[in-house]
Amino acid sequence: MIELKNVRKIYPGTTLPAVDEVSLFIEKGKVCIFVGPSGCGKTTILKMLNRLIEPTTGRIFINGDNIMDVDPDQLRRGIGYVIQQIGLLPHRTIEQNVEIVPRLLKWPEDRIKKRVVELLEIVGLDPKETAWKYPYQLSGGQMQRAGVARALASDPPIMLMDEPFGAVDPIIREHLQDEFLKLQQEVKKTICFVTHDINEALKMGDYLVVLESGKIVQKGSPLEVLSSPANDFVRRLLGDDRGVKLLDLTRIESLMIGEKSLPHNSEKCRCFIDVVKPVKMALEIMMKNNTDIVGVRRGEEVIGTLSWAEIKQHISKLSGDQ
Amino acid sequence: MMNFEIDFFVEAMLDRAPLYIIEHFQLVLIPLAIALVIAYPAGVLLTRPKFSRYTEKVMSIFNAGQTIPPLAVIAVFFPFLGLGYGPAVVALSIYALLPIARNTLAGISSVPYEIREAARGMGMTEWQIFKEVEMPLSFPVVMSGIKTSAVLTAGTAALAALVGGRGMGAVIFAGINFFRMELILAGTLYIGIIALVMDRLLSFLENLLTPIHMK
Repeated sequence: MIELKNVRKIYPGTTLPAVDEVSLFIEKGKVCIFVGPSGCGKTTILKMLNRLIEPTTGRIFINGDNIMDVDPDQLRRGIGYVIQQIGLLPHRTIEQNVEIVPRLLKWPEDRIKKRVVELLEIVGLDPKETAWKYPYQLSGGQMQRAGVARALASDPPIMLMDEPFGAVDPIIREHLQDEFLKLQQEVKKTICFVTHDINEALKMGDYLVVLESGKIVQKGSPLEVLSSPANDFVRRLLGDDRGVKLLDLTRIESLMIGEKSLPHNSEKCRCFIDVVKPVKMALEIMMKNNTDIVGVRRGEEVIGTLSWAEIKQHISKLSGDQ
Repeated sequence: MMNFEIDFFVEAMLDRAPLYIIEHFQLVLIPLAIALVIAYPAGVLLTRPKFSRYTEKVMSIFNAGQTIPPLAVIAVFFPFLGLGYGPAVVALSIYALLPIARNTLAGISSVPYEIREAARGMGMTEWQIFKEVEMPLSFPVVMSGIKTSAVLTAGTAALAALVGGRGMGAVIFAGINFFRMELILAGTLYIGIIALVMDRLLSFLENLLTPIHMK
């Protein structure tokens, strides 16, 4: 659990605060995304959490301890840190890079070796293929995986990630995001994640913190932010296709017409979709099959229908202010 | 006009000049070692945030050391240190400082910011960052500074003979005093060879110490 109380950072030689009176509570095991344009203070906030930058005023607590009372090097060894440029040491092999924090923590040799193999497998790198290679011998995506493995090495409860997928191409990025979400299901870390990409934020976050000029303009779940943006800035950040984005986050469950209407509707359905899928998928299927109604299944059983009219109604209701 | 006798040249090359080879190597290696011990830590310290504001001042002092002709350096120290081996070594050490300090500074500054930041973010102490990140990554640049210094010193060390510091310079100055072209040529050739040997020796050492992928 991480708590920020009235945190403010004014860089020497400037008058405007880079981070202004930020108070925040991040629950254990959640992914909290800091999103906003360049210079909004998101990276500064992240770096204050492991004391790479120290706040001018305000306090930061991690698991109830004020981080200013902890030795910075010890603090950092207990927090995973991934940056966009990855920062793998170019003169060390992937194995040696991943080992860094366990070595700093003076783990016994056999435990370190076992952990490296385990970690490389977790992030989807073949230990036999990659452990002995140098960073320059890896592709961008592989390097980023190695960076994540290195940050996970000592199994820290908290991870800080600064645009970790920013430097890879869109296809690899999507793939890494999906893998990251899967991984997070298993490891349940408390993750602070910085991005300027609103789509990435909506996809990855349990919780969004939208920043503008060092101030929090809105915080809430992706659904909350999408369905009721706090102001024009947030609305602009979300883009003109807010309604469609919303459909990506809304599950069919919440929209479909239940079992009562099933008998009279289901004959008309030519295609079916699983109830946990997002509404956007249902829309895709409707367009592909040139129909305006899909049957909804849970497992093998048909439990209801979803029609184009219902989706339309939902969009216009939620984004009436657009 | 000086005359040139091939027999005497052969004698100079084979019997006279070789006597000074070891002395000349000493006149290169000892000042080089002293310069390294001073210039490397100085170069490193100058990259620390605490001292970075002195960087220019110290570098200009080092630069000044380089613009003074070696002869003048020897002349300046002569009244204090007198004649002989000691003053020659002091003057040559000062002369060897700059390339090492400059390349140390450049080498360490060239370590990418994000690599240092990542190392710090993982909880490495400043000393660990220096030892495990900055030192190995700046090594090739520092090494080329040392090589430059070595070759430079091999040449300037000839002037040591002027203040009684001996070395291969003694052969050359003897040739000048006695109008013997053979001695001048022999001494000059040997200095060239010594410079080459120093360069090759250091390159070999560098190869030995550089990890495979950085070559």
